[in-house]
Amino acid sequence: MRDVAVVGVGLSKHVSKRRDVNIPELVWEGVSAAYEDAGITPRDLDGIITGNMPAFEGVNLPELWGAGHWGAYNKPVLRITTGGTTGGSVGHGAFYAVASGLMDTVIAIAFEKQSDGDSTAGLNTVAVADMAPFLSYGIDPAFMLAFGGGAVGVAVYQASSYMKRSGCTPHHLDKVSVLCRTNAAKNPAAHLKQPGLTPEEVARTALMQYPLRFGHVCPASDGACAMILTTAEKAKKLTDKPAFIRSVASCSEEGALVGIAAAGTANTDPCAQEGCKVAAANAYRKAGIKEPRQEIDLAEPYAPFAHQLLMFYERLLLCDEGEAPSILDSGSMELDGALPVCPSGGVISTNAIGASALERIAEAALQIMGKAGEHQVEKDVHKAVAHGWGGAVNLNVVAVLADTPTPRG
Amino acid sequence: MEREVAIIGYAQTPYEEDADASREILVLRAAREALASAGLSRDDIGTVITANNDYLDGRTISNMRLVEPSGACLKDESKVEMDGAYAALYALMRLLSGFHDVAMVIGESQASVYPTYAPGVMTLDPTWDRQRGLLNEVSAAALQARSYMNTYGISEEQIAAVAAKNLGNAVKNPLALRAVPGATVEQVMGSRMLCSPIREMCAWPATDGACAIVLAAGDVARKANRAAWIRGVGFYHDSYLTERPLDKMTSLKMAADKCYAMAGIEHPEVEIDLAEISELFAHEELMAYEALGFCAEGKGGEFIDSGATRMDGILPVNPSGGVLAANAVCAAGLARLAEAAMQITGEAGDHQVKGVKTALAHGQTGLCAQENIVYVLGGE
Repeated sequence: MRDVAVVGVGLSKHVSKRRDVNIPELVWEGVSAAYEDAGITPRDLDGIITGNMPAFEGVNLPELWGAGHWGAYNKPVLRITTGGTTGGSVGHGAFYAVASGLMDTVIAIAFEKQSDGDSTAGLNTVAVADMAPFLSYGIDPAFMLAFGGGAVGVAVYQASSYMKRSGCTPHHLDKVSVLCRTNAAKNPAAHLKQPGLTPEEVARTALMQYPLRFGHVCPASDGACAMILTTAEKAKKLTDKPAFIRSVASCSEEGALVGIAAAGTANTDPCAQEGCKVAAANAYRKAGIKEPRQEIDLAEPYAPFAHQLLMFYERLLLCDEGEAPSILDSGSMELDGALPVCPSGGVISTNAIGASALERIAEAALQIMGKAGEHQVEKDVHKAVAHGWGGAVNLNVVAVLADTPTPRG
Repeated sequence: MEREVAIIGYAQTPYEEDADASREILVLRAAREALASAGLSRDDIGTVITANNDYLDGRTISNMRLVEPSGACLKDESKVEMDGAYAALYALMRLLSGFHDVAMVIGESQASVYPTYAPGVMTLDPTWDRQRGLLNEVSAAALQARSYMNTYGISEEQIAAVAAKNLGNAVKNPLALRAVPGATVEQVMGSRMLCSPIREMCAWPATDGACAIVLAAGDVARKANRAAWIRGVGFYHDSYLTERPLDKMTSLKMAADKCYAMAGIEHPEVEIDLAEISELFAHEELMAYEALGFCAEGKGGEFIDSGATRMDGILPVNPSGGVLAANAVCAAGLARLAEAAMQITGEAGDHQVKGVKTALAHGQTGLCAQENIVYVLGGE
C-alpha cells in the first residue's frame, strides 16, 4: 500500500445556530480553510469524500446540492455515512482512496447543521426498530419514553454500567467535563468554551437522567471539518511536517441500544464496547505499534458523554480496564500531561455530529504537525490515536496517526 | 491498479413489488447466497460495505441494523450512501490498499415501505426548488428527456423502444419484477403518462430486493470458483440539477473515459461485448449509449433503431431487463455489476449472451443521473 499524509485541516466555527449561512456555505468555511492550510486549490484534487447524517437537517444526500460549492465541479464524489462515526468513516474513506492508488489528493468533508432540523427526532427513528425486541422481552412500550432524551436516554445505561465496573464516580464525570471544556476554551473552533470551570460547578448542573447532568453532555453544534490527504511524495512538496495516517480500522458489533439487540440475539453490556478493542488492536497492528501504552502520545476518543472519555481510553487499550479514573486523577490527561486526552475539548464541548469523528482525526493531525495553536500539548506528539463511536451503541472507528509513515518489512 | 481484484460471488433476491420479508431478511438471503456462490464462509470476509439510504429506510444510521444479516459482526464495516456500485468501489479501494483481501458488498431497498419518488424530492435545494413543489424524480426526468429530445431530434418511439427491449428481455430473467412477453413500442406508448414524455413503462418500478457480491484480491481471487476481473473503474459528479445542461450526461462520459483508459479500451463500441446500464428512465439508456461512446453524440435513437443493443445484437444492453425491470434503489447498480459478472462467467442462465469477454456495468446516484460510475469487467 501507499503511505497517506494529511497536509491540510480546516474547521468552521462551531455554534448552536448558524442562521446567516445555509448548509453549503457553512461547509465551505471548513473546506476553504483546509485548501488554504494545504496551499492547494480544488483543481489539485482527484476526488471528494463526504458525509453527514441526512435526517438531522432534512436534506437527503446534501452533496448533490452543495458539493459544487466545495470544489466538486467535474470531480469524483463518494458519500459515506455511518451515524456518529460518520466523520471517522469519511476520514477512513479518504485514507483508502489514496492508499488504493486510485487517487492522489482528496479532501474529506464532514459536517452537520443541526439547527436546520431536529437531531433527536432523527435519532428516535433508530429506537423504533427496538420496539419488537422490547415487546418480546416483556418490556412495556412506555419504556420507549426513556428515549425522549434521545442519545442521552441510551447513554445513561452505558454510563451506569461503566461506573459500576470501573469505580468511576460522579466526581470523575465532573472532572472530565472540566478537562474538556477548559481545553475547548483554548480552541477557536470549539463550541462550549468554559475557562476556569470547576467540578463543583458541573455537579450543580441539572440532572438529565442518572448519572448524567447537563454539564456531562455535548451540545448540538452547527459546524464542518475538512481534511486534505495526499501521497507521501506530494506531501513533501506541500509541507515540511505532514501527519501520516498509518492505519484505520473499524469494527461493528450487534446493535444493542440498551444491552438488548434489535435482532434479539445478543445481551451485551453497553459499556463493554468489544468492537472498540478489536478496532484498536487491528489499527495498532497495521500501524506497526506493539505497545500502545508506551508509544501513543495523544488520544482523541469520541466522548459526547463524560463517562465515555474514560471508558474509551480503556477500550483503546491505553490502560487496563478500570484504571482510567485514577489516570484522570493523576493529571496525565491534561495538556501538559504524559498522555493528553481530547486537547481539542472533545465532543463533549463541540458536536456537529457528522463532523465529530473526523475532527478527532483532524485534531490528532494538527497536534502532530504542531499547528494546534493555543491548545498544542506540551510534549512532542509522534503518534496519536483518533476514535469515533455511534450506531446503536455498536459502531467504532479508529485511526492511528504519526509523524512518520508505517515502517515496512 | 495496485492489485488485481475480481468478483468471485454474487446473489440477488427475487425482485418483488411488496416482499413478504423485512429488509434484514432480504439482506441475509442475498449475503448467504453470495457467500455460498463464492465458496467462502463468513470467516473469510475481511470487510463489509453496505449501500443504503436513511431516507429510503425511514430511519437514521440505516446500516447499523444490517450488521447482523450482512455478516459484518465484529468486522470492518462501513456504508456508502449512494448506489450500490459505489459501495463496490469503496470495497475495491479497501482491497487495493492491501488492508483487506475479501469484501462483501450489499445493496438493498424496500420501496414498498416509502412513497416511491419522495426521497428524490428531499435531495432538492430545500430553500427554493423543494418549496416550489414542481420538481420530483419523474418531473425532473421529464425535463431531462425533453431537453435531450429537443437537442438531438429523438422521438418518443425511439425512447419507447428501449422499454420494449428491456421489458422483453426481462422475460428470460427469473428474478425480474416487471417482464412483458413480446413487449412492443405500441404497448409502451399506450402505457399511462406520468409526466410528459415519461410513461409508466418508461419509468423504474418500485421494487423490494437486495443484491450482494463478493470481491476478492490476489490469491483468493485466483483460486476462486469463478472470477470476473475488474479492469477499470471511473466515477464523476455533475453539477446540481438546475445548474447543468440536462441534454447530455457529462459525468457519465468522464467516468467512461477514465474507466476505458484504466482498462486499456480504445474503441468501446467494438471492444465491449455487453453492457448493463442503470436506465432509471428509458431515455437515459439512449443518452448513456452516447456518453459511453457506443455511438456518436446525438445518435442514441439511431443506435437503438439499428438493433445493435438487442440480446442478439452486436452490443447487447441490459439482457437482464435492466433497471426498468427491477430497481431496488441502492442495489440497482450493484445488480448491474453482478449481471455483468454473470455474463462473463457464463452463469446468466436464460438471458446469457454468448461469448462475453468484456462487459460494462453502470450505476448512478441523484436526480437525472447527477453522479455516474462505470466499470469494465474482463474474463482474464
